[in-house]
Amino acid sequence: MSGKSNMKFLYAGIAIALLLSVLAPFLASPNPDGLESAAGGVIEESKMSELEEMEPAVSSPMPDYSIEGMGKGGEVAAIAIGTFAVLAISFVFGKVFNKKA
Amino acid sequence: MHIPDSFIPLDQAVVYWAITIPFIFMSMKWAKNELDEMKIPILAALAAGVFAIQAMNIPIGMGTSGHMVGATLVAIVFASPWAGVLVLTLVLLVQGFAFGDGGITTMGANILNMGVVSGFVGYYTYAALRKSVGTSIAAFGGAWLGLFISAIVCSVQMWLAGTFPLVPGLIAMGTYHLIIGFIGEGLITAVVITSIAKFRPDLLEDSFNAGSDRYNTEVHA
Repeated sequence: MSGKSNMKFLYAGIAIALLLSVLAPFLASPNPDGLESAAGGVIEESKMSELEEMEPAVSSPMPDYSIEGMGKGGEVAAIAIGTFAVLAISFVFGKVFNKKA
Repeated sequence: MHIPDSFIPLDQAVVYWAITIPFIFMSMKWAKNELDEMKIPILAALAAGVFAIQAMNIPIGMGTSGHMVGATLVAIVFASPWAGVLVLTLVLLVQGFAFGDGGITTMGANILNMGVVSGFVGYYTYAALRKSVGTSIAAFGGAWLGLFISAIVCSVQMWLAGTFPLVPGLIAMGTYHLIIGFIGEGLITAVVITSIAKFRPDLLEDSFNAGSDRYNTEVHA
């Protein structure tokens, strides 16, 4: 194992993640996920609409992986921003917890 | 499977946080003992990949979709379920705070289900099967079972929360996630692990985790 080949792995990972960021807004299924679908099937309608009306505890800057008024391009940007945020946090975390540090 | 704030009352959400925090703490301890300059790029690449693939919902029929979780994949690469807990914690933090995907109060439950339950069940199933059925099939089976069991745990939480009735909740969550687990989790995990075994076999061999072996020897000595 060399540091160089691990950097290659990193670049491949970033490339795949960015490719997914670009494709997901167009290819990802808009259908509800397993939990939402189950909720729609097993919760009474009146209670379901009550649950849906409740605001999240903290409002997020890019709800549902979108940027207001930017359509599909905004969705691509949102997922790409998230990908880089996760990368950056992982590196900062890695530096802090690096056993050789 | 990201539980929104409204699905679990606050007092119960706090209980899941209390259960989950020791696991997050242990995953940080794992990082402190295991991560070095060589492994950080691998961890970062997997975390970015897991985040992005979670945005790719795959249609599974019945008007439903699902996506990969990824804890088992990460755990297999690092030969430790704590790595899966760590990556899912980082990913769920970003998803919750930046994108409103999964609640903040319910993040403890989400980390518990997707990081801890799916990662531990997935990894140890893989470890148990690997010698008899080979790496690819073991990775598939582990990832599939890990996701399915986490969905079952999630439906029990939904029942305790008073959000889902028990049996219909179990049936619906179980059915959807058997399918999501087969395609979204099992197949993708098997393909990625098989590719890594082909192109970077050193990552899955003991050499990559030599540090952990040394650490274990020291602990047991």
